[in-house]
Amino acid sequence: MTPSIEYYCPCLAASPHPPPPHLPSSTYSFHPLHNLFFCEECDAVRCNRCVMVEVSGYYCPNCLFEVPSASVRAEKNRCARNCFHCPNCRNTLTVVPSDPPDDGDARMSPIVSSTLGEPPFFLYCNHCRWDSAEVGITFEKPTGLAAQLQKFEDSAPESLEFERLKEHFEPFLRASSSSSSALHSAAAHHVHTNPITAAASSALARDIPGVGKYNPLSRSRAGRDKHAHKNDIPDYKSRVEVASAGINAGGGEADVDFMCRLETMSEVAALEQRWVSSWVASLHSSDLKPLRIPLQSKKSKRCPSCRHILIKPEQKAQSVRYKIKLVAANYLPAISVSLPHAQAAVEMMKRSTALNKSAAATTVDEHGASAGALLAGKTYSFHLAFTNPLYDPIQVRLKKAQMMQAPGADGDKTRRPPFQVNLPSSPFPVAAFAEAWEYEDDEEVMFGLEEDEGDLDGMGRQQRDGRSKTRTLGVVEKRANVTVVGGEVILTKEARGRVKFNMLVSYTYRSDDPDGAEENVTGTPSRSHASSKAPELKNFSFYTVVDLGLIVPREESRIDPDI
Amino acid sequence: MPPIRDKFTIHSKAVVCQDVELKGDITIGAGTIVHPKATIFAIAGPIVIGSGCIIEEGAIIVNRRKEVMRIGDDNLFEIGCRVESPSIGSFNTVSARARVHHTVRISSHCVIGAACLVVPVDDEILDEYTVIYGPAAERRVWSGRGRVQEADLRRKHAEYLREMLPKFNRLRRGDGA
Repeated sequence: MTPSIEYYCPCLAASPHPPPPHLPSSTYSFHPLHNLFFCEECDAVRCNRCVMVEVSGYYCPNCLFEVPSASVRAEKNRCARNCFHCPNCRNTLTVVPSDPPDDGDARMSPIVSSTLGEPPFFLYCNHCRWDSAEVGITFEKPTGLAAQLQKFEDSAPESLEFERLKEHFEPFLRASSSSSSALHSAAAHHVHTNPITAAASSALARDIPGVGKYNPLSRSRAGRDKHAHKNDIPDYKSRVEVASAGINAGGGEADVDFMCRLETMSEVAALEQRWVSSWVASLHSSDLKPLRIPLQSKKSKRCPSCRHILIKPEQKAQSVRYKIKLVAANYLPAISVSLPHAQAAVEMMKRSTALNKSAAATTVDEHGASAGALLAGKTYSFHLAFTNPLYDPIQVRLKKAQMMQAPGADGDKTRRPPFQVNLPSSPFPVAAFAEAWEYEDDEEVMFGLEEDEGDLDGMGRQQRDGRSKTRTLGVVEKRANVTVVGGEVILTKEARGRVKFNMLVSYTYRSDDPDGAEENVTGTPSRSHASSKAPELKNFSFYTVVDLGLIVPREESRIDPDI
Repeated sequence: MPPIRDKFTIHSKAVVCQDVELKGDITIGAGTIVHPKATIFAIAGPIVIGSGCIIEEGAIIVNRRKEVMRIGDDNLFEIGCRVESPSIGSFNTVSARARVHHTVRISSHCVIGAACLVVPVDDEILDEYTVIYGPAAERRVWSGRGRVQEADLRRKHAEYLREMLPKFNRLRRGDGA
């Protein structure tokens, strides 16, 4: 239960102000910094909820083969080489040859230098020792196994039926996708659809008996369009009658019978083992087939408003690097929150447990737990450490966001807020990021000289800070590109719940690069603008939510020492 | 309880590194390899290890019972496993960090998967070709296909270690030698 901080992405809300943090729904608007992107063009934070995701390539996670997107469909989204999952434990399978004929006494055989296996090859799981010979799958050659297996898959009745269905609806899908994409492009210019997504969305929006149709105004026209199309297609006749077909899967009398005569659990394939297969699989665990490994995709993400790429992985499946990477961590200062009194308590606990392990352990635990907690009716200081990722120093100003009362929460409004937060009001500097901080020690002195009186004050108080509970507001510590500031929170006597508040962080940075070389570092939205005027101060602000932890009600804390 | 009397009988062809912890009455058969930092405790009764076994680093073999703990041939005890079963057959594998309680007797060709806990309350004997795997220590029976190749691999493994370990470790000899 360490204190945490999350950053706000305004994509869900209409107003630029974040929702009050005590609402459970507010968590959807806040994200950890490492999950956020930053669009240079829009000069805005983007999160995974608002970015547009595109597939930039498919690959097999096992053999790392990059599958061209054309063959992905033909291979049914699974690896078409020699990669298989164990149907029993989902480990990867290996191809092994069969044993040479056993002469009975393995003991006596000399240390055979190289026993080459014999032709019938099969798939073998190193983890649970499942092998494909158990289900009657063996191969004459150890290569091209997927192709050999896919033949089985493709000749399955379900698969053939599905192929026929696809053929049947092909003309209809083509027609509906073209009409709906035309509609979309007319209605909303920034929604980009390709035929596949359009087809998928129209499939999702179709009528399902017993399910209320989701039909917003923008869709109604498209829906009517489709109804018109629906009449054009002829009725589909299935290849085999499902009821009469001898397909041994999908429930029915045979399965009931099997379940009645069940003797051991392991005869039944577990749900986990069955639902990864594409078609309805039989209940018998003895029927499990090796599964080709599903492909994975690398995705690139775009800004929803300007469509610039925010992140794009390298094409190669082996590579874990990115061609384009505009992550918020490179633009916004990283903030970490800590409660000095809790840290001190933890330190103390560690030290005392190390000294006298058994005797004091229990009492210290109790003590530590209460020492690290936030007690109602008390005042605590907290530290915010700002780390500057930019190559220029920044000036940071903090402001506590006004509690915006939700319309429904009028009852709460009459009550006093459970806590009050004081943040340092004067702006403070955070030094620039440099690759190497060999001169770390000098840095403090250097910045000490340029500091204003507010900072000196902070430095002066720093000495006391470690031991006693000082009410520090302002800069506590400075090193390299990190500045730690202190704030305090005053809890009322009847405070409950979590200490959570929104904080507006604005920072001023200099965008003084005459050439556009380091623009990505300064994060300026307007390239031409930046190059025309040399030293220019820019401002960027963002909201965060600070969560200091749970408030321990007074009663409990009073009882604690008695125990 | 009487104090534990140390009595080590190590076959001249066994490779037992100096840095192993042995306690009690222990017999180690021909061609068996005990890596450094392995532990073999014969607390109550003696331990007899057959030939061609491989006992890797950090493996712990304990006999808590009065009777002799017999370990067969060509078993592999991987890194950090702990085995207390009173009898073990041949060609078994106990994977890394697995734990086998003293209530379990292991027959032959069994595999205890990595980090599996085999701690039944009542005494039981693992059937031949039993495979225990996964976080929930699920069980199944191995068909035995690939058994010859595995035995072969085990022998080659032991052969290699017999050659390499003495080059980098001091060896321990039995009391008789």
